[in-house]
Amino acid sequence: MSVKVNRRKFLKMLGWGGAGTALTGCDLPTTVTLEEGKEEVVSYLMPEEYAIPGIGVWYASTCTQCEAGCGLHGRVREGRVLKVEGNPDSPVNHGKSCMMGQSTVQSHYNPDRITSPMMRKGSTLQSVSWDEAMSALTSKIGPDSGVKGDRVGMITGTVSGHQAVIIDELLAQVGSKNHYVHEVINTSVWSSVCRDMLGDEMPKLNYDKAGVILSFGADFLGTWISPVHNMGEYAKFRKGARGSLIQVEPKMTLTGGNADLWIPAKPGTEGALALGIANFIIERGWNAVDVPSSIAKTLNQYTLTAVEKVTGVPVNKIKRIASMLTERAPSLVIAGASTENHENGYDAVASVMLLNLIMGNIGKTIEASAKFPEKALRAKQGNTKDLLLLAKALKDNKLDVLFTYNTNPAFTAPAVLQVSEGLSSVGFKVAFSMFPDETTLQADLVLPIHSGMEDWGTHVPAYQPDTSSVLSLQQPLMEPIHKETRGFGDIMLSMLKLRNKNFGDFPDYYSYLQTAVANMPADVTGSVEGASKDIWSNVLQKGIVKAKASANALTPKLVDMKFKVKHDNSGYPMHLVPSARLGLWDGRHANIPWLQEFPDQIAKVVWGSWAELHPKKASELGVKNGDYVRVTSASGSIEAQVYIHKGIHPDAVSVPMGQGHDEFGRYAKGRGVNPLKILNPLMERRTGELATHATRVKVTNAHKHEKLVHLGGSETQVGRKFVKTISVDQLRRTEGEA
Amino acid sequence: MQVERRTLLRKLVCSLRGRMRMKTVTIKQLLSFSVLAFVVSILPAKSYAELPVPAHITPPVGEHESPIVPQPIEFPHDRHVNDMKINCMYCHTYARRSKVAGIPPTSKCMGCHKVIATDKPRIQQLTEYWEKGESPKWLKVHDVPDYVHFTHEKHIRKFVFDEKFPVEDVQQVCGLCHGEVRGMTVAEKKKPLNMGFCQRCHEANGGPGDCWACHK
Repeated sequence: MSVKVNRRKFLKMLGWGGAGTALTGCDLPTTVTLEEGKEEVVSYLMPEEYAIPGIGVWYASTCTQCEAGCGLHGRVREGRVLKVEGNPDSPVNHGKSCMMGQSTVQSHYNPDRITSPMMRKGSTLQSVSWDEAMSALTSKIGPDSGVKGDRVGMITGTVSGHQAVIIDELLAQVGSKNHYVHEVINTSVWSSVCRDMLGDEMPKLNYDKAGVILSFGADFLGTWISPVHNMGEYAKFRKGARGSLIQVEPKMTLTGGNADLWIPAKPGTEGALALGIANFIIERGWNAVDVPSSIAKTLNQYTLTAVEKVTGVPVNKIKRIASMLTERAPSLVIAGASTENHENGYDAVASVMLLNLIMGNIGKTIEASAKFPEKALRAKQGNTKDLLLLAKALKDNKLDVLFTYNTNPAFTAPAVLQVSEGLSSVGFKVAFSMFPDETTLQADLVLPIHSGMEDWGTHVPAYQPDTSSVLSLQQPLMEPIHKETRGFGDIMLSMLKLRNKNFGDFPDYYSYLQTAVANMPADVTGSVEGASKDIWSNVLQKGIVKAKASANALTPKLVDMKFKVKHDNSGYPMHLVPSARLGLWDGRHANIPWLQEFPDQIAKVVWGSWAELHPKKASELGVKNGDYVRVTSASGSIEAQVYIHKGIHPDAVSVPMGQGHDEFGRYAKGRGVNPLKILNPLMERRTGELATHATRVKVTNAHKHEKLVHLGGSETQVGRKFVKTISVDQLRRTEGEA
Repeated sequence: MQVERRTLLRKLVCSLRGRMRMKTVTIKQLLSFSVLAFVVSILPAKSYAELPVPAHITPPVGEHESPIVPQPIEFPHDRHVNDMKINCMYCHTYARRSKVAGIPPTSKCMGCHKVIATDKPRIQQLTEYWEKGESPKWLKVHDVPDYVHFTHEKHIRKFVFDEKFPVEDVQQVCGLCHGEVRGMTVAEKKKPLNMGFCQRCHEANGGPGDCWACHK
């Protein structure tokens, strides 16, 4: 006899079975209770009055996961930091934080932290005591070592506040000017154009006052300048009279995904498109500010048809953008990585800025920023020019001692620059590092530093979004987890003491900071409540010092623009877009499992690399999702799985930055590929930045397939109308809207 | 409820172990301990009147047989609770303020034991910890899994303060989940503290039945 079980019956059985299991499960002591006597519980010896086990205490600090300088509050319970949130008093992030900030705890508690100093003995790094490490440091770079001048160098990420001051001081003592400040994700070209055309490197952008934002590749919701701040402003921009967002970029970013109009111009021609829009606006007489005839003459050649030919953007779209800019004035026009990082990037950004000038946006949506009064504390922003300079210095054998801190040039430098090979020519390399990354493992002396949640510091954000400028204090949220790590400031201070007796008054970096902050001039600390002796404790409590800022005005002026860049690109028909995303960033967060797990905002891929291709290109190559392709430039090649997506220019292939680590701990090592490695050594011509988006490649089918691991499963509804849609025309007809 | 003989026996053994650790035990003492142990084992068991259940509470149902957890110091709950009449919340002071009741800080123990019973080996052991600046590493006896957010504070508020139940009798409330601590030396787990145990009590006493109340 056969028993017929249909779907309905099966589900019914499953339901009863499940309920039965659940009810008996409630009383099963072996499965739901914990065994007695297996875990330790240690009481306080002498508790502080405010420390109640089980109840969190919040301390103010500063996020160090990117350079934006967001204020944080960290929840500490039983001496452990458990969770961070944004500091509501910080004008940078107004109490919000992003996924990178949230995952600070996984950087702090990471099992791959370096826990003791290491010194190179023979070919391997071996654990040594701090005494041994410090005496090696003293003998190699102390006053009696004979090391001085420009043969000493230091490469760091963006630094500001008192860390920048002590780095300057150390290099000044040694007599070196070689402080290389390196970030792959930067806004150097934008800053240069703003400096030259507006007189302010980092002008304040009023997203909320704009009726329309035209962004040329500026992923301001993801990776541009100060993402968390931008997100808040973007929300205001979309509320009320809803502003429109137009995004021009070769590969859809998080910002592009949010845009009302997304336009993939041919990579590298964004400047021409901006000039085409400007020309059309002037032809129609829509410009708010008069244009000098010399500029108008240059613009004349950028006719609609000519621009369509160069950029691939249809004439009607150019017209539409121009009319939107006019009708919904004031507008805000910005430019980011995919526009900046070409050989003519400066000119392209300058033509973008020209749109702001002629539309009269200066003083409305773009204003002078508040500058922090103490110049020495202002941010030194990272760039790729310094990476090229370092590569050259290494190649020419110009360095005897190199310090590395908060940056990983052996990972981020294109292979053709031979930075890894060049490092071996440096006699003594000292790495201040938390993790065994590619650069750290090449060092001769590795000094394990505290995590951002264990260390002291001050940060002055490069982008100051308020009318007063801000200094954000970083204070430890808990005692160091590992006994053998030290604060970056503490190590620097002990090196400074070797040469300068003045620093002898400070037993540690904490006391140095305390003295420095409490003694700052009144225009800095004037806003801090309380008498002068209470300044330090008030700053500790709030985490923020709002300083008076001098009132500046922007001084708009025009610059020359030249566009001609000619290369023989035969054999390399495609453009490589090394894309960045909020999450893994430039690869510095690849060792954080939460961020690996977090799907890419567009491709939804987790834990790996992929090559994004347009469906047209994919069918040309005969590849489908998950097939491997080989991306080859003149400088090397990488292999990655294909992700097919309409949000990319048909002539572009995008491989995200972040993966492809040879080292860097268990979560990052040996995962995916690093597109930066195959970049050609092309330079932006005016600023000397690395033109990261200018490399041409060819893409070939590697005839391999694996399942692409990504969320979402299917890209279509397979005709099942889960989400119903209706065209605007039909809506108007049926809903009776005029 | 009766205090079992084995509790008394264990107290004897505990005290012997304490002395052995302090290396103050002699053959003579060892012999007298054995005799005492024998005498205790044939004595009729000592008994307490059973703790009354507060009128406003339907007690949770469930029993649990616990192994004795060897603690670094054999802390005598019975001495403190029963003989000295010290309130539970005098030492477990966080119970009314926080999700955890808290193990009393060593400074609290020393508050009394700087002067009281300083000749006793267990107090000398405690003093040794104090002078080294360390806290004893106790072993957890009562625990719930990490996905269960039990909070002492809410339970104490509901069953004691909201009901204006006399705080001096609080052990009647604590005992519903922790058993008759006044008859124990080191804490023993007497109740299962599993979901069925909690759920039945919540149903009987009007506690929340929502999953999210405890599982967060």
